[in-house]
Amino acid sequence: MKSLVVKDIKKTFRLSKKQRKIEQTDETKKVALRGVSFEAQPGEIFGLLGPNGAGKTTALRCIATLIKPDQGDITVDGFSAIKASSEVRKRIAFLTNEMKLEDHFTPNYLFRYFSRLHNISDEVSEMRKQALFKRFGIDKFQEVKVSDLSTGMKQKISIAISLVHDPDYIIFDEPTNGLDVLTARTVTDYLLEMRAEGKTVILSTHILNVVEKLCDRVGIIIDGEMKALDSLENVQNIASDQTLETLFFDLVKESAVEEHA
Amino acid sequence: MRNIFTVFRKEMYRVLSDMRLVLMIFLLPGISIFAMYWLIGTLIQNQTEAVQQHTIIVYEENMPADIRSSLEGLVDLERPVNMEFHSIDTLEDSDLKEKVREGDIDVVLRFDADFEAKISNYDQAEAPSLFIIYNYGRQNSSFGYNQISSVLNQYQSMKLMERLEDPSHAQIFVTDYADDIVDERQMTGQGFAMLLPFLIVIFLFAGAMSIGPDSIAGEKERNTIATLLITPIKRSEIAIGKISSLALLSFISALSSFVGLAFSLPKLMQMDTNGVEYNIYEPIHFVLILFTLMATVLIIVGLIAVISAYAKTIKEASMLIMPFYLVTMIIGLLSSFGTEPSGQLIVHFIPIYGSVNFLSSIFVFQYDFANFVAVIVSSVVYTSLFIYLLTRLFSSEKVMFQK
Ligand SMILES: Nc1ncnc2c1ncn2[C@@H]1O[C@H](COP(=O)(O)OP(=O)(O)OP(=O)(O)O)[C@@H](O)[C@H]1O
Ligand SMILES: [Mg+2]
Repeated sequence: MKSLVVKDIKKTFRLSKKQRKIEQTDETKKVALRGVSFEAQPGEIFGLLGPNGAGKTTALRCIATLIKPDQGDITVDGFSAIKASSEVRKRIAFLTNEMKLEDHFTPNYLFRYFSRLHNISDEVSEMRKQALFKRFGIDKFQEVKVSDLSTGMKQKISIAISLVHDPDYIIFDEPTNGLDVLTARTVTDYLLEMRAEGKTVILSTHILNVVEKLCDRVGIIIDGEMKALDSLENVQNIASDQTLETLFFDLVKESAVEEHA
Repeated sequence: MRNIFTVFRKEMYRVLSDMRLVLMIFLLPGISIFAMYWLIGTLIQNQTEAVQQHTIIVYEENMPADIRSSLEGLVDLERPVNMEFHSIDTLEDSDLKEKVREGDIDVVLRFDADFEAKISNYDQAEAPSLFIIYNYGRQNSSFGYNQISSVLNQYQSMKLMERLEDPSHAQIFVTDYADDIVDERQMTGQGFAMLLPFLIVIFLFAGAMSIGPDSIAGEKERNTIATLLITPIKRSEIAIGKISSLALLSFISALSSFVGLAFSLPKLMQMDTNGVEYNIYEPIHFVLILFTLMATVLIIVGLIAVISAYAKTIKEASMLIMPFYLVTMIIGLLSSFGTEPSGQLIVHFIPIYGSVNFLSSIFVFQYDFANFVAVIVSSVVYTSLFIYLLTRLFSSEKVMFQK
């Protein structure tokens, strides 16, 4: 039961006029996911790897119940993301770069606010807050308005707040994006700790280095399709020189050739 | 329920802890309404006083001494009317006209040379003539003419009486008025009914408009909405929490405008500070007004919330709300300056129009309890509809995330 299963999800976006202009296309639709499946187990870090526009964020948003797949389903501990979305939301932490905290509030206020929305008592919330704020070096800034903090600090606060309810599933979309080496290290170290605690971690990235250091299993997604899905070792073995980078390049090139054919 | 309160409290805190928003939403409306009406009142007052204090420049020829002395003793609103008399001498009519047009002279009175003699010999001579020049486009001239005209009328009546052997024959009939039948309360109430329901609705709308788009479209624009949407909270709880907090804030904002109005009304209506009788209403009226306002604010806020959730940006929301604001203004005007408030039950089911109409009828003491129930019930229905729509919008990935 304790697992996260993504089963053959497809997602097509209808493009608005404005989007068509930006993307310089006449197509009215954009197929973002063409049937993606994978699983993530407790105590492992699953890495979703792919170039820009591959569909990583879209897949994660489907898991987080923010958008619904057109086809297929996702189950978290047996609960469907489509039919029992609030049960799924209770169990996951979710963070993307597009998700922001309200500027006007302090980390303290926001932590308490989101704890309440997760039905956590004030005492438990206070304890978790102290631990997380200390872990991410937020304690000195807990009474400073978010608007007055640096990008890195905001990102760390977002991470801490996404974890208010001590969820079993942690789904982070490019969590180290835009962070300096030190701050990025704090985040990756924390994810390793979470794995050790038996949590399920799913993260997306296009930074191969991060994948090689953190992930137990990887899925390579290109143009909405899962091109490779295995343990890190096995995936690396597919490439001649056993690096993820070579494989990644080959796969991207391959799919570009397919498209032209 | 707990979640609704959590969202409600956060929304209240967001506004109340921001000095700039507090100023803008709660103090500015009251202060600006007070300043505006107070200024208008003061300007009207100054103008009236300036006219009264002006010395009326009269050019005359052959003015009978009786008329002259009456004019010199003129009093208007317990103040002596200042007049300065000049002789026309050799001035031509064309010169005089030009000067009156320019405002250098207020009134010209050219009496016939033997004006009084002709009046006395009325059975032999032709009636004497009086040539008058004044300019009703100028306040001073107009005011001067009115004063002079009243003296001339008196003079005429006096001369008429002299012609009759028995002066009492001059009286054609005696008028006698019944004792005061006017209900002072109702008269004051009519004044309120003209002005207040319209302003109240405008105030409520303006208050809601200043915070609604920021609270909902702003969350989309700033990308903070997803952070809320991934918590287990129900979309309907977000909808109710947002609408109820917006309603309370708009209500306070409207109240601020209202206090400003209450303080400036005496000045505007040119009365002493204690001249406006607010105490003609009893507690029951205030209770009815309060409930009607709550019903109205919910409809307005519901509408604004739905539009703000649909819009992608604060700017777009404000633009989409504009037409509804104009319609609301027209509705307010129609029912305030139109005929008496309608007593028809059906009217009270129309959103906003029904509330404005019912407010008017409270102010003139002609309300019907059934209509009150209609206003409340219909607003509950409309608000539920808006909450339902808002919930749908919060659940729609297209509306929430389409760029
Ligand atoms: N709401 C949307 N409406 C229309 N098209 C969308 C929407 N969201 C994503 N897309 C399109 O779907 C495709 C996949 O996008 P997605 O954000 O999932 O890619 P990604 O792998 O996260 O890329 P990146 O590395 O740039 O973050 C892209 O072509 C994107 O333009
Ligand atoms: Mg992405």
